[in-house]
Amino acid sequence: MSWAQGILLARGLSRGWGGICSTALTGVPFSQGPPQAPRGLHCSTAAHNPDSSLVPRPPEPPRGPVKALAPHVELFRQAPDGVRDKASFVQAVQNFTQYNVHKRGHVDFIYLALRKMREYGVERDLAVYNLLLDIFPKEVFRPRNIFHSIFLHYPRQQECGIAVLEQMENHGVMPNKETEFLLIQIFGRKSHPMLKFVRMKLWFTRFKNIDPFPISRDLPQDPVDLASLALRHMEPDLSARVTVYQMPLSKDSRDATDPTEPHIIGIQSPDQQAALAHHDPARPIFVEGPFSLWLRDKCVYYHILRADLLPPEERLDLAYGRSSWDDYEFNINEVEEGPVFAICMAGAHDQATLAKWIQGLQETNPALDRIPVVFRLSGSSGELLASSSGLEEPPLTPPEGQEEEENNQQRQQQSQS
Amino acid sequence: MALVHKLLNGTYILRKCLKPSVASCPFLGTRSADYCSSSLEKPAAAPGKASSQRKTEGNLEGHHQREVALDITSPEDKPEVSFDKAIKEEIKDHFRRLKNDIVNHWIGPEGRPLHEVLMEQAKVVWQFRGKEDLDKWIVTSDKAIGGRSEVFLKMGKSNRSALLYGTLSSEAPQDGESDRSGYCAMISKIPRGPFERKTFYDWSQFNTLYLRVRGDGRPWMVNIREDMDIIQRKDQMYSYFMFTRGGPYWQEVKIPFSKFFFSNRGRIRDAQYQLLLDKISSIGFTLADKVDGPFFLEIDFIGVFTDPAHTEEFAYENSPELSPRLFK
Repeated sequence: MSWAQGILLARGLSRGWGGICSTALTGVPFSQGPPQAPRGLHCSTAAHNPDSSLVPRPPEPPRGPVKALAPHVELFRQAPDGVRDKASFVQAVQNFTQYNVHKRGHVDFIYLALRKMREYGVERDLAVYNLLLDIFPKEVFRPRNIFHSIFLHYPRQQECGIAVLEQMENHGVMPNKETEFLLIQIFGRKSHPMLKFVRMKLWFTRFKNIDPFPISRDLPQDPVDLASLALRHMEPDLSARVTVYQMPLSKDSRDATDPTEPHIIGIQSPDQQAALAHHDPARPIFVEGPFSLWLRDKCVYYHILRADLLPPEERLDLAYGRSSWDDYEFNINEVEEGPVFAICMAGAHDQATLAKWIQGLQETNPALDRIPVVFRLSGSSGELLASSSGLEEPPLTPPEGQEEEENNQQRQQQSQS
Repeated sequence: MALVHKLLNGTYILRKCLKPSVASCPFLGTRSADYCSSSLEKPAAAPGKASSQRKTEGNLEGHHQREVALDITSPEDKPEVSFDKAIKEEIKDHFRRLKNDIVNHWIGPEGRPLHEVLMEQAKVVWQFRGKEDLDKWIVTSDKAIGGRSEVFLKMGKSNRSALLYGTLSSEAPQDGESDRSGYCAMISKIPRGPFERKTFYDWSQFNTLYLRVRGDGRPWMVNIREDMDIIQRKDQMYSYFMFTRGGPYWQEVKIPFSKFFFSNRGRIRDAQYQLLLDKISSIGFTLADKVDGPFFLEIDFIGVFTDPAHTEEFAYENSPELSPRLFK
């Protein structure tokens, strides 16, 4: 019975190495050593002798020194002026299949291609994933009898299939019928990649629309469009109006964030306009910011115009009448903050730009010229940390403390004179 | 005290503790080793945690081993705390709590009269109005497995909210086995009774979770863990997503408990069961949206209430393809 024990041990080892998709799976490719053509038990050994193949193959391309860790990297190396896009990626994949009829080392190649996808910008393209799955030889890895299906049949190839699906899952790509057909052809219906496909189909459809504030994946590149999208995203009042106070310089100057003319876009709703008109001119209002907002993977910064809370004695206390049975109020005083009058997004975060915003606001809010405006331009309560390299518009680093009061009336007089 | 320790130790034999020294110190308040999957290393230091560690410093008994993590704070505490006095005060405090517990049991559940508990339809479970409220939470990040994310928790503006902020970095740790990384989490501590006995929250009359938060547009994940005193289930939790809007306005997030899906060891399980609310141990918020950069989340309070319009019991059906055994 030693052979049975040997098989069980092998099965245990392969499972222990993370072979099943339900345990933690690593994406690190397993270096298989010299790439072997997959041999099924049913194939005769004579057919795998490459020298005696019946189909005349083109000569092997001269291969450079092959490193043990990256067997097919030279397929992705290209001329210095070559652009990395979908066409060249597809070309590299086709090169592999062309020069390698028996698909030797296809598992390593697929892992390498999965790593290279981000460079070529195709990580969200379903057709490319189907092309990668197409590299697998068909019908070879399907279990044919009960012994195949009990033991994990072709574990490395199944893990590779799962890795492809997992990268699809990470980037939010939904597989389609072609993927399903390919998986059935390659691995069979009861295999682990097929199980993962079923799970993806189920959970993706369940969670597709759960975001109450959805943003599309392709964000606009133009900063003005992006800013207006972000402002509309933040403001729940649908009757609010977005106003562009200043456009950036035209494209031929090649500088969208020119410090002399950054874009300034603001949003204000009619309720906020009315509240600002009723605001007591004796109390100052504050321009606070910059605060960060994330849209998918882009971070933008905005400023707000707000007033402080009224002291308790002047506040209106609306006591809601409660019915005797139902009481859905929480027994806590919620955090109250002063009313927000307007929000804006600008290309620069300094006081001059924001002063231009206030001037723009004055056209629709004539009450604003009597109210003193204080600029508080620090990131409040530590929300803003040192900008990382992925951020688009880094905040102004020098002023960490609070800036002093700037009376709006004086500024107006200066600009008018 | 030795008798109580032996009794408590007896229950700990049932659980597979990674560090036996943790099991022998039942008075530690900051025990995250039991239920955090990232607990193999020390949790990331947060200001709220450090203060609670200092508080429980004094109640270590002489014959227990000292935890390595506490040695960081002990040199500062030596001149302040007198060992024997602190132990005596802690013992008295525990006995007082035990007496209150027994007396409250006669008044009603949790010390409130029964009719008040039954008629309650909205309850505030966690609020953030002072530093001691921050002590009920633990913050972790993937620093525990060697990543680069940082996370901090502090009180927000004018002490009226809590601010969870930090930087997320999805750079994978170079330990040869992980290829993805980048998460930050804030988890509530398990509620403790007298003598650090584990208790739980009973939310069986409520059906919706209510959060008043102000985020920055990032999607968070809310995780609920059940009390696992009898059955060893430290890897299982129920989760759902919380999408923040961003912007200067406070956002009310209402998540019905029927929407939480079940996961084991970080993977969604095929056979789904609904979340049973009678033994809730802790709640947590996780950020792992694969986008590098700073983040923040301000939380005003967390409560539970009964939404009379919500009649769904469980949102996810089991499919015969994925779990055939359920359909035999």
